[in-house]
Amino acid sequence: MKSNGIAALAQDLVKRFGDFTAVAGMNFEVYRGEIFGFLGPNGSGKTTTIRMALGLLTPTSGSVEVLGVPVDGNTHALRPRIGYMSQRFSLYNDLSVLQNLQFYGRAYGLSNHELKEGVEDALVLAGLEGREKVKTHELSGGWRQRLALGAAILHEPEILFLDEPTAGVDPLSRRDFWDLLYGLIEKNITVFVTTHYMDEAEHCHRLAFIQSGSRIVYGSPAEIKEEVMPGQVLELAPSDTGKTIQVLREASDRLKIDEVELYGSLVHVFGPQMEDKLDAIINTLRDAGHDPGQASLVEPSLEDVFIASIK
Amino acid sequence: MSLRHLWAVTRKEIQHIIRDRSTLVIVFLTPFLLLFVFAYSLTVEIKHVPIAVLDFDRSETSRQFVQRITAGDDLELYAQVAALEEIEDLLLRGKIKAALIIHPDFSRQVLSGSGMPMQIIIDGTEPESGAFALDNMASRAEEFIENIFADQLVALSVPAEALKPIDLRISTWYNPSLKPRVDLIPGLISMVLGLPALSVALTLAHEREHGTLEQLMATPIGRTELLVGKMLPYIFVGMINAIIIPTFAIVWFRIPFNGNFFLFLGLTAIFLFAILAMGIIIGVFMRTQAAALAVSFLLIFFPGFFLTGIFFPIAAMPEIMRLESLGLPGTHYAIITRGLFLTGVGLDVLWPYSVMLFGLGLAFVGVAALFFKKKLG
Repeated sequence: MKSNGIAALAQDLVKRFGDFTAVAGMNFEVYRGEIFGFLGPNGSGKTTTIRMALGLLTPTSGSVEVLGVPVDGNTHALRPRIGYMSQRFSLYNDLSVLQNLQFYGRAYGLSNHELKEGVEDALVLAGLEGREKVKTHELSGGWRQRLALGAAILHEPEILFLDEPTAGVDPLSRRDFWDLLYGLIEKNITVFVTTHYMDEAEHCHRLAFIQSGSRIVYGSPAEIKEEVMPGQVLELAPSDTGKTIQVLREASDRLKIDEVELYGSLVHVFGPQMEDKLDAIINTLRDAGHDPGQASLVEPSLEDVFIASIK
Repeated sequence: MSLRHLWAVTRKEIQHIIRDRSTLVIVFLTPFLLLFVFAYSLTVEIKHVPIAVLDFDRSETSRQFVQRITAGDDLELYAQVAALEEIEDLLLRGKIKAALIIHPDFSRQVLSGSGMPMQIIIDGTEPESGAFALDNMASRAEEFIENIFADQLVALSVPAEALKPIDLRISTWYNPSLKPRVDLIPGLISMVLGLPALSVALTLAHEREHGTLEQLMATPIGRTELLVGKMLPYIFVGMINAIIIPTFAIVWFRIPFNGNFFLFLGLTAIFLFAILAMGIIIGVFMRTQAAALAVSFLLIFFPGFFLTGIFFPIAAMPEIMRLESLGLPGTHYAIITRGLFLTGVGLDVLWPYSVMLFGLGLAFVGVAALFFKKKLG
């Protein structure tokens, strides 16, 4: 991917609002043609970073470059090459599907011919053919999200910034939406997407996990797992998860394990060379009078990685 | 400035106006409503003011005098009372607006020509009615005296005209029938035509509230293109009002229009540009529609009412208010409308006000565009 060139680049990007530091020295490279995920909890500085990349906010220090152009005072020439879908889908709810698409097309200066084609493509992408006259507020969240995506790529941008596009959308629509994003990659659109859903991290080619305005882990999902969690994860299915976690945490020094966490109805145990410790862990639990249940070594999920890296 | 971008914004705003009934109501119906309410509430003539009479004289002359005072529609005798305390009670309970107290020596002094001893008490909490009653009684008293002397002079064979050494004739120009509405209504029209400024302030605050403003800022649409694009449809709407409302006022209130109507439309367009730019400034600074609405009333309509000289003469204001009134588009436009409706002057007289309006508009748009960017950061 890197060979395609860099679509966006942030160097020591800082944004302060008074005493509050929203972004504290952010660095990242987004390669052309990839889906770059920007993950973090609400209020971790994701939106602020995107706004600086779009030139809507001026960084306190550091720099950001998009499509090889430094984003500073005048981003006017850059704007037609960028697409943006802001947090709240940014559609005009009182206008129809068609009116929304036409407005954004005109806003990007499309000619009548380009506009007609772009609107048709966007309607197909959003699956809203035949519903052009429907007022936007009558659409459900999933449809509005797809319409907003259609509106954001009408002008065929080279890079698309999506700020929490899947927030508040049902799981099925979220999956469909990610399929749409993969479709964009095939059209050579680079995608920069923020989310606070951990499960969406696995869909990204590369990602940065951020907390309190700082990058905590960074890279492709495989790289991140390798770097943060070289060992494997022991997955237990005990009958009493609470007790199991308590017993193992108390014995963590002796067993040389790093973390014991609840993972749904299961328990995940992290640490180096877990396969060597399997017997010791099971014995410890049996000695304490607990049934460890089914035990297996699994690949860490990104969620495991994030929990481990936050600690 | 790109016309394509401008048109994109303008077209979208027109779609909003058509879609949103409440905007349509604000824009087209409210001016009419306000014009009616103000025209009727501010110009209703005072009639049937209730008064009380305390007659200590109880003579034929004093009875005739009371009869004369209450003969017309203006004053109405609410009660004949016997004591001062009763007057106070009636005044406090709001039953009367004024009271006439006739001195015990009234008939003797009147008939001997040495004076007219009486006292008039008016309710100072309602100065309009009180002053009206006072003026009315004073002029009736004058007539009454004149009549008595005229009768006596006739008896002495002296012509009554000899009593009036000064023949004062008042001639009123421009509003000959002296109906208060005639000079008020052009001012009212100038005020209600500025109403779309409210909508334009709201539409900008609406975009901010709903997050669409941020999306707009990421498009290639420039700040000035966005602001002017938002103003254009409301200028158009304002021009429709500028045709309907004066036409209606001329027909309904029978007010004259002595100037050139096309000049009126042209100068109205300049006024709309200036007042809408004022609305835009408010929209730029306010984060919510509720705040934009409140501030519009505070900065556009209250000063438009009190400071533009429509109801209260600018010359009577303290200096700082007079300066402030110069910065309000309504001040200049009120002069223009009054001039065109009543005196029928042309651009040779009105050009300084027109230039001022245009200058204000440009300045407001400049300020709005300047602060627009900063407000996003």
